[in-house]
Amino acid sequence: MNASTGRAGRFRLTNPRYGLLLNIPGLLIVLLWVVFPALLLFAVSFLRFDNVNPVSFVGFGNYQRLWNSRVFAVSVERVLVFSLGSTALTALGGLVLAMCLSNVRKGGGLLRSLMIIPWAVPAVVSGLIWKWMFSPDFGVLSDLLMKARLIAKPLSIYSDPSLAMWGVIIVDSWTRIPFMGIILLAAILSIPDQIHEAARVDGADTVKRFLYVTLPMIRGPLLIGLMITTIFSFRTIDLIIPLTAGGPGRATYVLGYYIWDQITKSLNFGLGAAAGVVLFLITSLITVVFVYLLREK
Amino acid sequence: MRDRILESKALSYSVAIFVLSLMMMPIYWTVVTAFKPDTETYVFPPVYFPSNPTFEPFRLLFESYPFMDYVANSLIVTVSTTLIVTVISMMAAYGISLYPFRGGKLMLLFLLATRIIPPLSLLLPFYLVVSYLGLVDTVLSMIIANIYLTYPFAVLIMKAFFDNFPREIIESAIVDGCSRTGALFRIVLPVGAPGIASAGIITFLWTWNEFIYAFVFTSTPKAQPVTVGSFDAIGDVFVHWNQMCAGALVAALPGIIFVFVAQKYLIAGLTSGAVKA
Repeated sequence: MNASTGRAGRFRLTNPRYGLLLNIPGLLIVLLWVVFPALLLFAVSFLRFDNVNPVSFVGFGNYQRLWNSRVFAVSVERVLVFSLGSTALTALGGLVLAMCLSNVRKGGGLLRSLMIIPWAVPAVVSGLIWKWMFSPDFGVLSDLLMKARLIAKPLSIYSDPSLAMWGVIIVDSWTRIPFMGIILLAAILSIPDQIHEAARVDGADTVKRFLYVTLPMIRGPLLIGLMITTIFSFRTIDLIIPLTAGGPGRATYVLGYYIWDQITKSLNFGLGAAAGVVLFLITSLITVVFVYLLREK
Repeated sequence: MRDRILESKALSYSVAIFVLSLMMMPIYWTVVTAFKPDTETYVFPPVYFPSNPTFEPFRLLFESYPFMDYVANSLIVTVSTTLIVTVISMMAAYGISLYPFRGGKLMLLFLLATRIIPPLSLLLPFYLVVSYLGLVDTVLSMIIANIYLTYPFAVLIMKAFFDNFPREIIESAIVDGCSRTGALFRIVLPVGAPGIASAGIITFLWTWNEFIYAFVFTSTPKAQPVTVGSFDAIGDVFVHWNQMCAGALVAALPGIIFVFVAQKYLIAGLTSGAVKA
């Protein structure tokens, strides 16, 4: 391994064996920590594995049960609404903040720090503190909206199903706008000034330059941001657990919550594993679509 | 004229400050509530500026619940995970980036793919393994889980940094008789410190903030971390909102501190890990 000075001539920087050697611990982690659990997940999804019956092989039985389950269908529909809503709001918020912060000098560092804070708060804690904000009895949000004369009496996301979905979407995008804002800000700042200058000389106004210069130039990072936001919100339950626990009724009962319930409440591991595989397949599909869009110029 | 307004700094500042004030509202509200006595907590309309701030909620939080244990558990899990992940991912990234080997590209792709597998899907198999090994309700179970949750991104961040590393420096050092491993410690570490710091800080925060694995793996204050413990003030019939907010602040503290102390590293890490990889 050590190069003595005498051998320095033969010593090449590109030594593949050394690169591989350095990667062995990481490779072990990936094999033991990712590949093995993933295989186990698939295996369990073919088993009847609940708290009642002895464990037995049921083939696609669990998947069949999911297919016929009304609750499961609802959870898939709910997560689509949730993820779409959250991604849209995140993209809007992130883009607006990134555009503004890219045009700001003094105090920009502080504003950036403020923007990142929601990202740094544990998601489950975000759920808890928004639960307090949304409180129908002492909640500050109800009071503010009443002071602004937008509503007449305190609102409760815990009894109104459509409000509940809005509630969790707002909280989820609150935690995701920072990441979107950060990568879009970096992308906007990396656009060379000359391109904007050239467009200006050609007579493009601010709106045109946003549409035909800025947006195409940040297309890659924007797509990556959208991809990450979509697949991450697809599997979010940290903040739904404290906020609405899937309710009221099944208004915020997303796919992840279905899996969570199988693991922590119903203790039907086979069904939970099958649902976990479905979640994995859906997010993979979303990823494939985005990767395709990213490749296409 | 319209363009002058749209491009004015004044408009940018106003919109940014308006949106950010909305986003800071929950933080402000948590801080304010955490220092309120009960008399100012359970009133409607709420009190926006408390007239007698008090440390009572914090005192009660640490007296009524084993919050000290939660903090200790979180620290053990977070510090161990961060150390392990930072060292292993640094080695891996150094190898992939500067000593290209067959399968290196594949490995990178694999790490990216790992990030797409929902941790929620792997929660069940992980739990089965952890209970098979008899590790339920131990801090070790969470260290194991968090290594999986943070390792891939840490490698991607550091690889992005090492890719920009001027190879000539290493080449000339090696020609001068420095070993490859020596080059890692004497040259790459000092120069690549920002990348390593970014990966380390993000690993630290993700581990500290992790909740679902911790919730399923632990059942007593012997192992429960802060994120799980922050539910304590929420009773079945009565919620101690001011204590809950005090707990939320404790749980959110490392994140908020890092945002102000290490903003540069966080931004660099998140952008390079996500976009350049």
